[in-house]
Amino acid sequence: MKKQVLSCTVNDEAVEVLVRPYTTLLDALREDLGLTGPKEGCGTGDCGACTVHLDGKPVASCLMLAMQARGRSVRTIEGLAKTGQLHPLQDAFVRHGVPQCGFCIPGVLMAAAAVLAENPKATEQEIRYGIAGNLCRCTGYTKMLTAITEVAGASARGEG
Amino acid sequence: MAVMKTTRDIKGVGDPIPRADGREKVTGAVQYVADIQPRGLLHAKLLRSPHAHAKIVRIDTSKAKALPGVRAVITAKDMPQLKKKAPTRAHAVLAIDRVVFSGQPVAAVAADELAIAEEALDLIEVEYQVLPVAVDPLKSMQPGAPPVAEAGTEADTSEALAHSAVALTSSETKPAKAVNISQQATVKRGDVAKGFAEADHILEKTYRVPMVHQGYLEPHAVLAQWDTVGNLTLWASTQGSFNTRSEVADVLEIAENRIKVIPVECGGGFGGKIRALCEPITAELARVSGKPVRYVMTRKEELEAGMPAPQVIIKLKTGVKRDGTLLALEADTILDTGAFSGTVLAVSAVFLGSMYKWPAFEIRGMEVLTHKPSVAAYRAPGAPQTIFAIESHMSQIARELGLDPLEFRMRHLIQEGDPMVNNQPWQSNGAKQVLAKVGEHPIWKGRKEWAASGGKDGRGLRGTGFALGGWLGGLQPTSATVRLNPDGSLNVLTGQVDIAGTNISLAQIAASAFGVDFDQVKITTGDTDSAPLTGLSAGSKTIYTVGSAVLQAAQDARRQTFEIAAKEMEASVHDLEIRDNKVVVKGAPDKSVTLASIGKKGNLYMSKVQPVLGTATPAFSQQAPGFAAQIARVEVDPDTGETTLHDFVVIQDVGKAINPLGVEGQMQGGAVQSLGIAMTEGLMFDDSGRLMNPSLLDYRKLTAADLPNIETIIVEVPSPSGPFGARGVGEPPIVPAPAAIANAVEDAAGVRITELPVTPERIALARAAKGNAS
Amino acid sequence: MRRFDLALPESLEDCLKTLAGKPAGAKLLAGGTDLLPQMKNGLLKPAWVVDLSRVAELHKLAVEGDELHIGAAVTARALELDPRVAGRHASIAESGALVGSVQVRNLASVGGNLCNAAPSADMAPPLIALDALAVIAGPNGRRRVLLAEFFTGVRRTVLGADELLVELVVPDPGARSGGNYLRHTPRRELDIAVVGVASQLTLGADGRCAKARIALAAVAPTPVRATAAEQALQGQTVTPELIERAAGLAVEAAKPIADQRGSVEFRRHLTRVLTRRTLTTALARAGALARASA
Repeated sequence: MKKQVLSCTVNDEAVEVLVRPYTTLLDALREDLGLTGPKEGCGTGDCGACTVHLDGKPVASCLMLAMQARGRSVRTIEGLAKTGQLHPLQDAFVRHGVPQCGFCIPGVLMAAAAVLAENPKATEQEIRYGIAGNLCRCTGYTKMLTAITEVAGASARGEG
Repeated sequence: MAVMKTTRDIKGVGDPIPRADGREKVTGAVQYVADIQPRGLLHAKLLRSPHAHAKIVRIDTSKAKALPGVRAVITAKDMPQLKKKAPTRAHAVLAIDRVVFSGQPVAAVAADELAIAEEALDLIEVEYQVLPVAVDPLKSMQPGAPPVAEAGTEADTSEALAHSAVALTSSETKPAKAVNISQQATVKRGDVAKGFAEADHILEKTYRVPMVHQGYLEPHAVLAQWDTVGNLTLWASTQGSFNTRSEVADVLEIAENRIKVIPVECGGGFGGKIRALCEPITAELARVSGKPVRYVMTRKEELEAGMPAPQVIIKLKTGVKRDGTLLALEADTILDTGAFSGTVLAVSAVFLGSMYKWPAFEIRGMEVLTHKPSVAAYRAPGAPQTIFAIESHMSQIARELGLDPLEFRMRHLIQEGDPMVNNQPWQSNGAKQVLAKVGEHPIWKGRKEWAASGGKDGRGLRGTGFALGGWLGGLQPTSATVRLNPDGSLNVLTGQVDIAGTNISLAQIAASAFGVDFDQVKITTGDTDSAPLTGLSAGSKTIYTVGSAVLQAAQDARRQTFEIAAKEMEASVHDLEIRDNKVVVKGAPDKSVTLASIGKKGNLYMSKVQPVLGTATPAFSQQAPGFAAQIARVEVDPDTGETTLHDFVVIQDVGKAINPLGVEGQMQGGAVQSLGIAMTEGLMFDDSGRLMNPSLLDYRKLTAADLPNIETIIVEVPSPSGPFGARGVGEPPIVPAPAAIANAVEDAAGVRITELPVTPERIALARAAKGNAS
Repeated sequence: MRRFDLALPESLEDCLKTLAGKPAGAKLLAGGTDLLPQMKNGLLKPAWVVDLSRVAELHKLAVEGDELHIGAAVTARALELDPRVAGRHASIAESGALVGSVQVRNLASVGGNLCNAAPSADMAPPLIALDALAVIAGPNGRRRVLLAEFFTGVRRTVLGADELLVELVVPDPGARSGGNYLRHTPRRELDIAVVGVASQLTLGADGRCAKARIALAAVAPTPVRATAAEQALQGQTVTPELIERAAGLAVEAAKPIADQRGSVEFRRHLTRVLTRRTLTTALARAGALARASA
């Protein structure tokens, strides 16, 4: 079971790393690339904690093999905003007191960012369905919806 | 007793300040155990029994040991300190000669890669002799049922003591009469037979709640490493580092001060990460292999072999007069604890009979062992299940007698001073105020219009329901220190694991009590070597107990500061105050010394001034109960039973909202957990004791698409004993939803569901049965 | 997951060669949303996995003439959103939209859903109701199988170990055709069908039902057609009473088991309800399309 070369783009940087063929994309990001933002909550695509963007689309990275990302572009929570800055969603989450234990947050933010990227004026209902693949046990989702809807509204008004 | 006062105007307390680690959490910078990658790390996997009850005839690990990349393989034979009669689940590290639940660990492996460890498990040969199982608690409690515990294993009441501090007097405890009954208690008052004889209306129902998992998103995780002289360090996802240390020390038979537990950011606990589970075996693998070893449970392992909440079966019978006068209540509450004792039996008895004034009652409680994974606490352990029974029952009585369910409750609601079923008086509480707010809420007021709008124009059946619940509040001694730095800033140290965002509230309390602005305070959670002894982050008691400790420590530091300043300025300590980071003589604003100068003097070479270190080590005797009511507005599909939750309101008495942002988050999160118990969650075991739904596909937690925004209404009835009047916040909101939903569904669809979760199937089939019957 | 080797073919030909060279068996990987969970649970322990991400032909989604061609690796999300999968083919988009969550739909492939062949496979009923053909490639060339005959048992299909599903070909159902897929789940997302029903009705110029197809999921070892119900509708004017009768006949075609997702009684009940509802919607859609094309 020889290692294979994974060449792809991660958070806007070209990456070339040796990975074991049976490594998931999630594990390669976390262990081979040191990006521990995406988490494993279930390993079977049922919780969303591992959500990253693949060519701009939100995917469950625990269900992909790392080599399936060859030649493609991956974005994790660490690459959602430029270093030192906060994406409007991140800022809104902090201000609204969204994170409690924090474990689901990277996945939720990536899912929310994808909803708004695809549909900047998403309604609350569309946002709900857009993050419905992300389980959270601490917050009950309400403050998340408030924060994301606020950012969507600001975008609709041409702000931020 | 007057409400605890501050030493200055409250500033910081009561402000909705976002928690300090918010930025780290939204950028993915916070580290959890699984994110820690030490050099030479080995990965652990456990081999678990597929059988719920079996003798272990033979284990052969030779092939596993020979697989390249495997560094350690352990069975019970390698751990002589393990006891055949394991007193608690934590002590049952590896099965010795018998397994008592499906999923029980039988062998452990540490390997270079997780994949190799998995393959090693495949190579371990175990020969089992399958034995008869006791799965249904109603069967398991009968004489002659297959025995679960090793004869003589004690009932473990440490959970009860940790969580509710509810006592039932010992004279009410009877010896077990069947081999699998591990705890038993009865409370009674008055003459129930007479009460039933005089009743116009008798209602008898059996309520069932399955085992549910706490559902924390981060599975159990621990990293263990030994140094060369026999000291163990554990990086643990835990709700109580000191408790973890004590349990691991006890199980492995080493001194507590040989173990350092570092509480890493915990991705949710809710009671499921209090007791030791993975730590002892991981420590042992690290010792044998000589390397750091990390064990992270898979979700499947969590569901199959975690420590869920107990299954509860309550047979409830009430007798009332036609006008709603309460006469008698009789109940059997049966808690299925799995393979080891661990329920808080008293909670169920107390809540069944103590919410309303029953002149006569008899409540028999029983804890029953079964061949299933043993239980631990889950946020208000025993309360959601029990309130489901009594609050469903109360609404049903009101329905059948044509009474208004809110007025009916209000009439009989307990007040401060009334005796609970264990004869302890109810402490001051806000139950009445919370219930009154239900009546004022537009959703409750508009319930008739809502119902009338349903069932036509393509709409489903519409209804509204509510329920009242609460939690008595846990107690545990704790400690804290507050240190004045040479620049005048403050450091606060506790051992408190910050799961719920309590650190920010503690900082607010310290700032307010000492007399500085909130951003002058840094709060640190220390490990078990550096922090003072601290209790669990559980029982809704963090602000109540640790907040009190921090408050007192800050007051102590303020006192010490004043003594130093008084000497220097030749003033009396009673004439001093702190303003703008200076100690000032009241009325003489130019007579002042800076906090920094006092702090510096305590650290200067050759100085005779002592450093300022405020300490507090309080223990507590008075609880501060917190009540919550929840209102649900639903729409039910008449054919499929699908239930849409349109609105949901949480009304909760928190005493004093130290940080309203945090309090709202607790109310909303607890409510959604409560709704999960109400509508979708349940561990389902087959007749052989195997879990049928060991994945998050079939163990259903609610998603954002299933829910409306949760409306929160904070009520503040100050507690005489909490810091600034605060009560515990975390547990009350998980209690009422199952009854609120069942009541709303009854209102909408005309069927009374007494078994949780209230699923579309149960509603649809109940309606079909009713339709056929009429 | 246990260790395995990974093949990375760049073309369909490559892929077939690789499969032929693995007599012990290899698992085909498209979206991984069924395969990886099964491997992680130890249900499958393949020595070789073959990644299909670079096999371009499998990712094609195109209208050719009046046939809709759906490559086996096309994702549920693509089917959910693509405007070509709408109108008469709306039921396909509906089933795609229901799989898992958006993070799963961006990976899950229609081919994977069909080849995994769970009784509850959401994408099977609409395709069966549209008389889709499965195009299968093997060492001896290609063959076509009616999708209704593709499934042979629980998690079993007609595919040989050296074959793979290339695409689905969906023939034109006609201008006056409407379909609908509904399923019952306890939650709104991330869930799996307790019962799923797809109905497709094609109306003749006289407004009567020219063709009826009703396919059921999760009520038998494989997805099944409710042929008696279909025949009751054939050639008739579709009224609510006839729909109710057809719904009753659909229940007879269902042979559900009880499991942790639902009892036999509830599944039979749902079969009736969902058949009634999908037929009603299919009729309305067919009627609307008929008027639009008139």
